[in-house]
Amino acid sequence: MKNILDRNQNKANEIRNLLILKKILMVNIISSPGAGKTTLLERTCDALGAKFRIGVIEGDITTDRDAQRLKKYNIPIVVINTEGGCHLDSNSISKVLDCFDLDNLDVLFVENVGNLICPSQFDLGETFKLAIVSTTEGDDKPGKYPMLFREAIAVLLNKIDLIPYTNFNFESFNSDLIKINSQIPLFQISCTRGDGLTDWYKWIADQIIFSQL
Amino acid sequence: MHELKIAEDLSVIVLDTALDNNLSKVTKVNVIFGQMIQIVPDIFEFAFREIVRNSIAGDAEINIEILPVKMKCTTCGSAFQVKENRFACNICSSTDLGIIQGKELFIKSIEGE
Repeated sequence: MKNILDRNQNKANEIRNLLILKKILMVNIISSPGAGKTTLLERTCDALGAKFRIGVIEGDITTDRDAQRLKKYNIPIVVINTEGGCHLDSNSISKVLDCFDLDNLDVLFVENVGNLICPSQFDLGETFKLAIVSTTEGDDKPGKYPMLFREAIAVLLNKIDLIPYTNFNFESFNSDLIKINSQIPLFQISCTRGDGLTDWYKWIADQIIFSQL
Repeated sequence: MHELKIAEDLSVIVLDTALDNNLSKVTKVNVIFGQMIQIVPDIFEFAFREIVRNSIAGDAEINIEILPVKMKCTTCGSAFQVKENRFACNICSSTDLGIIQGKELFIKSIEGE
């Protein structure tokens, strides 16, 4: 019996060991396209950029538009174009880690390709996976994609300011989420209006500090 | 579409193993996937066939076994099968659980001549 993704897993383990050695938190951000990954990174760079040394790996099927949006923060950003691939794998991360000065980095955010299934199956060597869902996608995402919500260490529910304009049912969403992962922290946020972001900044700052212990 | 990447990695293992064992033809590939991996068997088989089309595994039969998700309760110790995404012990309702089965991505065996 042999694990089919042994090659991916071995590389992921190498990355994880390196990041532990360098005391860097690596966050693998997974969501559907348009859920707000890049906007969250913009807000997070605004809030925490002066306190922590942030780096970003942008996984994009094509174009570098997300990376362009983050350029104004003067942080190291590397784009991985998957050329049609629906997820990042540990090999692609390993190839770009050399582009960062790992001795001068506190946190590395990896914006995975927008997709709820495939990225949750591939270990990138991250410290943890983070799930973002937005209210405009509907309230059925935890029920339909349980693997992601089991694997993620926290969930961000974005665009809560738009709930009045959608048929999003928070009780239904939350009940599915609790059934799958009862202990998981849930942040209800609006990246455009700013709701709930203070709690998120505090939580992620605590995680970064914890990695440095 | 993670089926494609997993099928690619499987094809490398199958062809390497066939070479190591001096096989001239691979007749059957047996794989096991946990239910949480969310593999669609038809898509996986299609992807694998396309990848190995012009190789010694081109005509191989692919046998996919899907294992249900099983957890063990760390509070009362009972093991149970997860149904309808309910990750809580069916005896004591605890959500403090360890996974027993459901995330497998295994190649079980390769048959050939």
